[in-house]
Amino acid sequence: MTTDRMRAVAIVAVALLLGALPWLTTSNYILGIAVSAAIFTVSAAALNLIYGYTGLLSFAQLGFWGIGGYATALTVMTFGGNFWLGLLWAGLLNAALALLIGYPTLRTGRHTFVIVTLTFALLVSLITRDWVDLTRGPLGIANLTPPSLFGFWFDTTARFYWVAWAYAMLALGFLYVLCTSRIGRTLVAIKQNEPLVRAQGISPMPYKLAAFAVSAAITGMAGGIFCFHLKVIDPLFLDFYYMQTFLIMVIVGGAGSFWGVVIAGIAMSALPEILRFSDDFRMIIYGAILLIAMLVMPGGFAGWLHERKLSRMRAALQQ
Amino acid sequence: MTAMLEVRDLRKSYSGVHAVDGVSFDVEQGRITGLIGPNGSGKSTTIDCIAGFQKADSGRVVLGSTDITGRAAHEIARAGLMRTFQTVRVYDRLSLRDNLTIAAQQFDEAKWTDELLRTARYRQAADAAEKRARELIDLVGLTRYYGAEAGILSYGQKKLVALAAALMPRPKIVVLDEPVAGVNPTRIREIEEVLQRLNAAGETFLIVEHNVEFITNLCHHVVVLDQGRKLAEGTAADIHTDARVLEAYLGMTPEMAEAEMRGAA
Repeated sequence: MTTDRMRAVAIVAVALLLGALPWLTTSNYILGIAVSAAIFTVSAAALNLIYGYTGLLSFAQLGFWGIGGYATALTVMTFGGNFWLGLLWAGLLNAALALLIGYPTLRTGRHTFVIVTLTFALLVSLITRDWVDLTRGPLGIANLTPPSLFGFWFDTTARFYWVAWAYAMLALGFLYVLCTSRIGRTLVAIKQNEPLVRAQGISPMPYKLAAFAVSAAITGMAGGIFCFHLKVIDPLFLDFYYMQTFLIMVIVGGAGSFWGVVIAGIAMSALPEILRFSDDFRMIIYGAILLIAMLVMPGGFAGWLHERKLSRMRAALQQ
Repeated sequence: MTAMLEVRDLRKSYSGVHAVDGVSFDVEQGRITGLIGPNGSGKSTTIDCIAGFQKADSGRVVLGSTDITGRAAHEIARAGLMRTFQTVRVYDRLSLRDNLTIAAQQFDEAKWTDELLRTARYRQAADAAEKRARELIDLVGLTRYYGAEAGILSYGQKKLVALAAALMPRPKIVVLDEPVAGVNPTRIREIEEVLQRLNAAGETFLIVEHNVEFITNLCHHVVVLDQGRKLAEGTAADIHTDARVLEAYLGMTPEMAEAEMRGAA
């Protein structure tokens, strides 16, 4: 077997093992963390596409997350649709919004993009609080009906885990194919040297827009699934905590590395829980670990591995 | 002789300063044309306007039989004009292979759907690009670095990568912006030889450069700019004896130049 094929087999094996988690544990606590890990990892991977690969720091992810959550919840609770339709709607709506924000903003500089996306996220947060007729304001929408498929109800944490797991596998699979294609390479090229990209006959705009729209759709659908895990959605769903979580995963994993961010996504979801043994110092230890990680590996975990590889290569070429 | 690139009455000014003030010249097919001039003479602005990185106020640029005046940079590249940059531009975090194959990806048949689905058409295009990348990397003498990241190369080596990338899609013309500025003398000889070999194989070049010896050795035809205007054009030998060129560019009178030539001999 070639190494490529062995790696593919290993990835499928790990994916299936993760899918079998509800048979390996009955603990709702662990399964709940696993749902968060799956959803946060996907959202971090989506942020990695626009920030890590394309080099555009988007705070709009928080807005897409929130809109995705509300779109799915409202489809089910207010407009009488089902969960899956809500998810589809969340994806499409967010992709459309990303194109709408991206088209004028991406013509300007990277800094403008950061500010506009941040403003967008804050605006969405305001709307969820103040458009009471639609969102029910600070009270939120509680008792979200669990999703069902062909008569099977995903009504326990163990069952709901499969929804999160299936979505994570699909979304990560798609992102992997995208990032490892020439499209992914072009995004990296745009981040590194946009004038050169243009000199090579490639128009950067469609690539940036597509990356932003895909990232928005995936984050929105992740938000849609996550609020049904919480069974409630209110303006706190737009807490900056979520954005910060995705961003930490991308930075610790290594912006622009697919596997780095996936591994960091899982590790950073588990870490705060592992640290529960010392309740008093939990957040302090978590902060210290983050700080040390950043000091030792400023390019994230993947960046650190990469630096080591580069210095070996330099040494080999000098001989 | 047919002109591969025709530049007619190109004008560009920045808040009243005429950076390029009515420049016209031709680049003949299969030849190396040099564009020289003192600092601030408008060389860079001229090629930026030709390649679509700046918009000319007026004038016309024709590539082969296509009018490319005022088109976007990526469209001009697709029409067959590839350029390099004064301060070398390569993708530092990509391998030499990727640096080259990406320069050809806009020119093959594979669509984005082929790329996502990894169709036969995609693999075919990727294989063809890789084959060409290998040839070009061999040609510029960087074979051992093929899989390595461009970031580890020296400045002069990066210039060679940029040149090889520009050649990837078999362009109609390659515009080189100061290909040997900041490059050490042995490497300059190397670049010179590579360009001569490529030209012998039929490539057309327009070269902007400060290094007079380099231009003299390489170019069939030289265009001299001064203060945004064309001062003279002709063969390298013509230019060397042109009083106006010596005055503007070298700050010498013909007598001084002659004395120097004698001294050198």
